[in-house]
Amino acid sequence: MFDLSLFWDYRVILWQGLLINILVFVLSSGVGLAIGLLACVGRLSSPAWLRRISAGYIEGTRSTPEFVLLFWVHSVMPVLLSGLVGMRLHFNPILSATIALGVVSSGYFAETFRAGIQAVPRGHIEAARALGMTPPRILRRIVLPQAVRIMLPELMSQNIGLLKTTTLVSVIAVPDIMYQVGIISQQEMKPLPLYTGTAMAFFIVILALTSLVDRVSYRLKRY
Amino acid sequence: MKTASAVKQPNEPAATGADTGIDAKSPAIQVRRLTKSFGVTEVLRGISFDLPKGHVLSVIGASGSGKSTLLRCLNFLEEPTSGDIAIAGHALSFSTDRRGVHHRPRSAEIARLRADVGMVFQQFNLWPHMTVAQNVMEALIQVRKMAAADARGRVEQYLAKVGMFAFAERYPSRLSGGQQQRVAIARALAMQPQIMLFDEATSSLDPELTSEVLEVMRTLARDGMTMVVVTHEMGFAREVSDRVIFLHEGLIDEDGPPAAVFSNPKSERCRQFLAKFLG
Amino acid sequence: MELWTRTLLANAGPVLEGLRVTMSVSAIAFIVAALVGLAICFARIYVPPLRRLLGAYIAFCRNTPIFVQLLWVAYAWYDLFAWPTDVFTAAWVALALQSSGYLAETFRAGFESVPDGHVEAAHALGISRFTTLRRIVMPQMLLTIAPSLMNQFIVVLKCSTLVSVIAVPDLMFQAIRLTNIWGEPVPFFTFVAVVFIVLIVSLSAISKKLTDRVHARLAA
Repeated sequence: MFDLSLFWDYRVILWQGLLINILVFVLSSGVGLAIGLLACVGRLSSPAWLRRISAGYIEGTRSTPEFVLLFWVHSVMPVLLSGLVGMRLHFNPILSATIALGVVSSGYFAETFRAGIQAVPRGHIEAARALGMTPPRILRRIVLPQAVRIMLPELMSQNIGLLKTTTLVSVIAVPDIMYQVGIISQQEMKPLPLYTGTAMAFFIVILALTSLVDRVSYRLKRY
Repeated sequence: MKTASAVKQPNEPAATGADTGIDAKSPAIQVRRLTKSFGVTEVLRGISFDLPKGHVLSVIGASGSGKSTLLRCLNFLEEPTSGDIAIAGHALSFSTDRRGVHHRPRSAEIARLRADVGMVFQQFNLWPHMTVAQNVMEALIQVRKMAAADARGRVEQYLAKVGMFAFAERYPSRLSGGQQQRVAIARALAMQPQIMLFDEATSSLDPELTSEVLEVMRTLARDGMTMVVVTHEMGFAREVSDRVIFLHEGLIDEDGPPAAVFSNPKSERCRQFLAKFLG
Repeated sequence: MELWTRTLLANAGPVLEGLRVTMSVSAIAFIVAALVGLAICFARIYVPPLRRLLGAYIAFCRNTPIFVQLLWVAYAWYDLFAWPTDVFTAAWVALALQSSGYLAETFRAGFESVPDGHVEAAHALGISRFTTLRRIVMPQMLLTIAPSLMNQFIVVLKCSTLVSVIAVPDLMFQAIRLTNIWGEPVPFFTFVAVVFIVLIVSLSAISKKLTDRVHARLAA
């Protein structure tokens, strides 16, 4: 019943599935960080309308369940865009996954960027201004170095969360590890070892990553 | 300034003082060979003294001398490593035998004792989720098992005594430090303890607020409460105490009536310590 | 507009039923997770021998992806324990499993945030340890972590969308089913997205108000 040899038998295809998870992770993280940065800049900029739109975007994306957005991007966006472009569009599942997960994570990243920047003590900036430094220089030499140190732990932590979220993408037919596990369990009629093994495997990997992040965060916090 | 007889010697029983049902001749507090170690660090290295009923004892000394630890041992917020303490009619012994096994009284005994000994903390420690009145009432209901209606009467009486009657329904976060500390005193007094302990009660207060609290403490002393006060307020100590103890590195370095200790200390360390405050 | 009337309004019944299932599975999962988390928190504090075991449990709950946990509970547990026997139970069990780990840590943080001095003051008055816990520690604990509790409920709500995969008839399930029947993804999925956004933004706003009131009350 508890036949873990199944894991070994199917190791190649399971590994390939995992690689897809990693691929989706890398792509959506990149998208998320890029959009998040833009949103953060907008959030902290001078024009009030830009601030409001950015804040609205951030709040909206953080309030959307990833699962819902996955379906929406994969099923609804092509339809909407088809109307605009005039051709029948169909999204590649990996593209949909990248967009959906990227958008959701962009909201969280944006907030982390903002918190990091705003955590730099006001006094440091005032001292720089009193010394006659210009804003770009202040940003580069005073604010960013400190802000990055502050936001790195949370960013790493959020990325681990994103990695966990990539397990969802099988629902829009991305051939990730969960997709493969599903197929194999059905074929072999033995759900127990595979699902248990996958849970354990993820547990160990994510735990290792989390511990690593904790260790690095601790050293970052010690000036 | 005590209104009773002239300067009392440390071991002479008080003529005044609340009637607690204990033999009027026995001291309110008796401490014998009290030691306290935290791990390998010895903080108290053998303290012994008696305090008669109705007397006020001030404990002074530098940071780290063990003053707060001594006070906290009296109501067992810190458990002595060894020694005997008789306080408010309860006699408790502590020891650690050669094998490192720690002998202590039972928790129930300690709890009973704490109901008879009141403590006021440097950080006030009012419970923020309860109003002033609820703060004062809580122990009356939980420990003295009073009915809410009876407790209410006592709460109002003691709040009035410290001048905080009008604030009964306020929350602590809305009060100044001095007001909070006065409520904390009322909370301890409402239990009608035989002895009151003050752990640097004014050290967290802005100078303007210190006097209102010291005034309450002065009144208490005048009314005959037995008090042990750890303080940096030398003026208060000199004026109100019957006896002053100067602690240095866990031992009593100077012990006597305020006039003697403040004007003419025998110990050089005590002299230097006082010079920083009064010089 | 006609599209929306034809699809969404015409199927208002199943859609609302789906919403009801979503709310109920989220609520049950959250309550169970809170009770389990609280029990674990106190067990770790007052029963030292259990600390490592419970620590491992918390680590497992927090580090394993919710989707993996869901499928594991739904498909593998029956072979092991002959339970759960229906998908609704599997759904809230999996969601509760995930959240119990986070909530155990949340309760611990709340517990540790109660200043030692407040507990000492209670002890100095002779109040027993248990009563102190009940009347002094827990009220402050709950006040302090109320916003975190709300946030965790929001997380549960978002994760509840996954249960459609194991055929629990929640809002998402209905949307998928109706889309397949009518061939019109736009109204259904957009509606579901909007419902969740509105719901969660509202809950977040309440949570923020709570945070402000708690800080006002507890700030000394």
